[in-house]
Amino acid sequence: MQNLSPQELAWIATARPPTPSPLRWGKTLCGLALALLWLLPFSYVLLAIFKSSAEYAASAPLSLPASAAPLLDNIRMAWEQAGMAQAMLNSTLYAGIGAALAVLLAAMAAYPLARMRFPLRNLWFLLLFAGTVFPFQMYLIPLFFGFQWAELLDTHLGMCLLYTAICIPFPVLVLRNYMQNLSLEIDQAARLDGASELILFWRIILPNLRGPMSAVFLLQFTWIWNDMLFSSVLGNSPETRSIMNALLVFQGSYAQSGPNIMLTAAVLASLPTLLLFVLLRRQFMQGLRVS
Amino acid sequence: MNPLMQHDQQLLARIGLAHIKARERARQRRQLRVALRFMAPALLLVGGLLLLPVLYNIWLSFTQWQLFEGRDDFAGWQNYIQLSDNPYFDEALGNTALWVVASVLFPLSLGLGMALLFRRMPGQEWFKSIIFLPRILAPTAAGVMWYYVYAPQGMLNQMLGVFTNMPVETGWLFEEQLVTPAIILAFVWQSCGLVMVLLLLGLAALPRDPLEAARMDGAGPWPLFRHITLPLLAPTLLMVVILSVLAGFTVFDLLWVMGANYPQQRTLSLAVFMYFEAFQKNSWAFAAATAVVIGGVVLAVTWLQTLLQARADRMVR
Repeated sequence: MQNLSPQELAWIATARPPTPSPLRWGKTLCGLALALLWLLPFSYVLLAIFKSSAEYAASAPLSLPASAAPLLDNIRMAWEQAGMAQAMLNSTLYAGIGAALAVLLAAMAAYPLARMRFPLRNLWFLLLFAGTVFPFQMYLIPLFFGFQWAELLDTHLGMCLLYTAICIPFPVLVLRNYMQNLSLEIDQAARLDGASELILFWRIILPNLRGPMSAVFLLQFTWIWNDMLFSSVLGNSPETRSIMNALLVFQGSYAQSGPNIMLTAAVLASLPTLLLFVLLRRQFMQGLRVS
Repeated sequence: MNPLMQHDQQLLARIGLAHIKARERARQRRQLRVALRFMAPALLLVGGLLLLPVLYNIWLSFTQWQLFEGRDDFAGWQNYIQLSDNPYFDEALGNTALWVVASVLFPLSLGLGMALLFRRMPGQEWFKSIIFLPRILAPTAAGVMWYYVYAPQGMLNQMLGVFTNMPVETGWLFEEQLVTPAIILAFVWQSCGLVMVLLLLGLAALPRDPLEAARMDGAGPWPLFRHITLPLLAPTLLMVVILSVLAGFTVFDLLWVMGANYPQQRTLSLAVFMYFEAFQKNSWAFAAATAVVIGGVVLAVTWLQTLLQARADRMVR
């Protein structure tokens, strides 16, 4: 019984008598059909990456590959022709640094917004929160010329700065809500003991926010990893391209040797976030819940 | 107590009050200094890299800036007038409207249906994960996948060929009538999972008493859903609708990847039109005006949401 979540307990408590079985069979069949339909594009991709270029051209898209051997060749060609080694490194850097820094800075900004009283508090919050309201199209042209002027165009530093900035506002909102729910008595006790605000924040508030912080970190990490737009405008050199931008460039280039290689590249580029999702599904769902 | 003493006391009280007020003000100023120190990095980054660009973008939209010329020449409303005369813009606007309608209608109805279907099903975790899986893919990667699904020799044509017993070689992404619906289908495939999960969270948070009471009174499943569940779900539904409207309105990545070889690519949506004008034609001011139009609509929708959300929350309580 101890392993049951409150939700599951509630479900058991209010469980209805089982619905008549024909209806239940119908529903299960319906669900199965939907799931199969949703998996269809995946199955096509999973078959394609096991085919050699000649085999892909000759065979029907949903036919089984002759052997699994061409996969290694496909991976090698996609990896080399799309410049994936550099792009993976870049995206790891952007997503890791950008998301971590953004969540930390957001927590710092959320602390006074949630737990201190000072003039124009709501205005300061709105100023930060405004960063989530505008569509990305409004940033592109000014950022392009601003980066050119500051010599940040096509640099790792520029990309990290941008991704950090863009990932700050949402965590501020989430973490502020969580901090408001922590009891204020801890603060007062710590202040009486002479702790400075910084120590209070670092030693008492942050450790209490590990759950929501890792949840928003995961969401922001995935977002940066999946971004193609900003990389294609601000970091489009082979040295600074993000992985999704590299995929886009690869698709548009003449070097790519066919759908099987291209699809292998798409799978490789998606693998890290897919793995993260499979391993950390609970945290992802918590992230959705907090938002 | 003589009047003089009373006066003294009032004076003392007033001095005390002023003193307290001054101390409070000093404390607030101190708090503000500490608060600003905590918020400084976030404010600098958000202000410098997000808010300042928005202001600069608005200014740009009133200049004549194109490649090599007109950077500081004021143009008034000229760019906006040009926008309304541009046939590509009109077509992009029409397609964007189609996107908004489709990206609300299909994910919402399918997502709601799936949420209700999977809610009490054995093995629901599996079903939920499968439907949610496409959402984890980047739109760019999903676009590449679907690009080859729709290819003339791709999966879709092959399956149609099996069903119709004829060879089908439709270029789904190259024909004017087909390209937008085809990309919308890929979008629906990607976005149903999130809508379903959000609705499931909303359903799980519903109060049980009204449902139980109505069931005791012998209400059937449809009236129960129509008159109890649906109204209670209104705040969640509203949030999902707004989310879908904004997603459909600003869709870019999927279109840029899947429409890469479509001759009229710039008409696929407003976001694509803006990107095309800015970074392929270098009509900076004109593109900035397009961005302002997109931003204006997004702000209006967001504002509408806060209004409606307050009303929906009040309705439920």
